[in-house]
Amino acid sequence: MDMNILKIFFPVVLLAIISASLGIARGQVEGRPVGDSVKSGQVANNVYVKECGACHLAYQPQFLPKRSWVKIMNTLDDHFGENASLDEAARTQILAYLAGNSAETSRSKMSRKILSSINDADTPLRITGTSYFKKEYDEFPPDVFKRKAIVSPSNCAACHPAADKGDFNEHNVKIPKN
Amino acid sequence: MRVFSVLKAVSLFIMIVPMVSFSADFNSETKQYIQVLETQAKKQESTFKGFDPERGKKLFFEEHPNEKTGKISCATCHTSDLKKSGKTLVGKPIDPLAPSVNRNRLTNVKEIEKWLLRNFKQVYGREGTAKEKGDVLMFIKTQ
Repeated sequence: MDMNILKIFFPVVLLAIISASLGIARGQVEGRPVGDSVKSGQVANNVYVKECGACHLAYQPQFLPKRSWVKIMNTLDDHFGENASLDEAARTQILAYLAGNSAETSRSKMSRKILSSINDADTPLRITGTSYFKKEYDEFPPDVFKRKAIVSPSNCAACHPAADKGDFNEHNVKIPKN
Repeated sequence: MRVFSVLKAVSLFIMIVPMVSFSADFNSETKQYIQVLETQAKKQESTFKGFDPERGKKLFFEEHPNEKTGKISCATCHTSDLKKSGKTLVGKPIDPLAPSVNRNRLTNVKEIEKWLLRNFKQVYGREGTAKEKGDVLMFIKTQ
């Protein structure tokens, strides 16, 4: 056997094995049962992150009550003026994740404050529409949110760089100047 | 010495991989989808002569009235330079559409169909026809 050929192919095979095992690892994460989430902020549902996170932050389910998620996921064809319809399998999987990890399931202070800021008769569709959010952000004039790098108050990650990890700590906030 | 030859081989491998995957042609999955669109387009329009990236470009930049933004086109979110990152209406970055800088684009038919459906509805207020979809895909492919 020509040793040169072996020398060339060994790393290729090695790389192939490594990338294949990475693929398997990823598959395991995807296969994680729905509802097996980290309650403290990191969003743990890949379908949710992929489908909903394509257009906006995959907001932590702990930010809204269950009834809100149900209503949102039942009206995706008109999602704040956009068509966000999903195939039925993805829709039901995401709904199960959101409903199973809604504010009611969380012990966090934030979830409790959000829930107590919502009237029982109301079903808010926007986190930014809750009294809790409005009170937290009333120090900012509305044009701050219109800055080019922010665009809208729904764009949490513009000022909370690790919003996707559930980090909304005030000390880590960086507000873009433009 | 052996370490060096291993390194050489690895760097050769790394150089070759993008060359293969950057090839200008659709993968077989996407090719098949284009053929399906072609058949539909012929059925809907007997004079159909094939997809045209120039028509696709027009569709991409055509502006329509929109409640939120006043006017909207595909370029509103994807920008007029498809090699650059875009931004959704709430400000989240969108990876570039151009396959020349984002090799994942136009490789997954399920994704292509989902976004063509959503975004035609978003911009045009209706689904795209087979001809329009093919034209737009051909335009994106040239980028």
